[in-house]
Amino acid sequence: MFTLVIGGAASGKSEYAESLITGSEHLPRYYIATMEPLDLECRARIEKHRKMRAEKQFLTIECYTGLSALRLPERGSVLLECLGNLVANEIYSPAGAGTEQGALNAAAEGVEALLAQCRDLVVVSSEVFSAGERYAPGTDVYLRTLAGVHRALAQRADRVCEVVCGLPQYYKGGTQ
Amino acid sequence: MIFITGPLYSGKRACACQLLGCSAEELSERAVWDVQELAKGCADLNALADRLAEWDAVIATEIGGGVVPADAGERAAREAAGRLSGLLAQRAERVIRVFCGLPVTLK
Repeated sequence: MFTLVIGGAASGKSEYAESLITGSEHLPRYYIATMEPLDLECRARIEKHRKMRAEKQFLTIECYTGLSALRLPERGSVLLECLGNLVANEIYSPAGAGTEQGALNAAAEGVEALLAQCRDLVVVSSEVFSAGERYAPGTDVYLRTLAGVHRALAQRADRVCEVVCGLPQYYKGGTQ
Repeated sequence: MIFITGPLYSGKRACACQLLGCSAEELSERAVWDVQELAKGCADLNALADRLAEWDAVIATEIGGGVVPADAGERAAREAAGRLSGLLAQRAERVIRVFCGLPVTLK
């Protein structure tokens, strides 16, 4: 089962995504973390999410770029968080694909590779597309790429939901 | 008229092509998009909505989700875009919102 979970900042998407994985019978539980700890704010955020997962038996694997090369030791369940970071890393990080198309392919192929290695996959991503287009130059490339990845994965996923105030609204695949 | 809305790059035009049974090249003969831009500085939104309603499909990008813009002009444009969408939805036989390429019928 592949579920795409999308939500705004602090919408409760992480907690909801974790509940989907902890509800899965397939062990072990892998958590693929995509945020590079670049500054104190990142570290604090990582620490918060680490604590949330500590008692839920997640094995954390860090992967900032090149997801398709990642090999999981066993076929369990996987929570990937967050696609928005992964796509940004592929576009802007020196180790990333560097181009819009390259980043789109890297993310889509990476998810495809995960699907082949697990039984349940939950991918968390950010809803950042309803505030208009007046961003700093260069941001548009990011928005376009992430939106392309969202559309591709929404096609591929068994279920797609948006989390609002901690509540999932399903656009595909019904409620769980 | 079918009114199609949704966030930026959510697949609204592809959805319009599917609903109208036309190609991306043919879409400009049947549909009009980015109509939120037309709302900016428009003196009569009702008349604009009436004119737009003559198309088979009208597409608007949702732009009202962020923080209220500090600039008065941008604030007014965003308000007008939101009101125009409401007026178009009133005139439409069908209203569809597209999220990540997935259409949801609102009306």
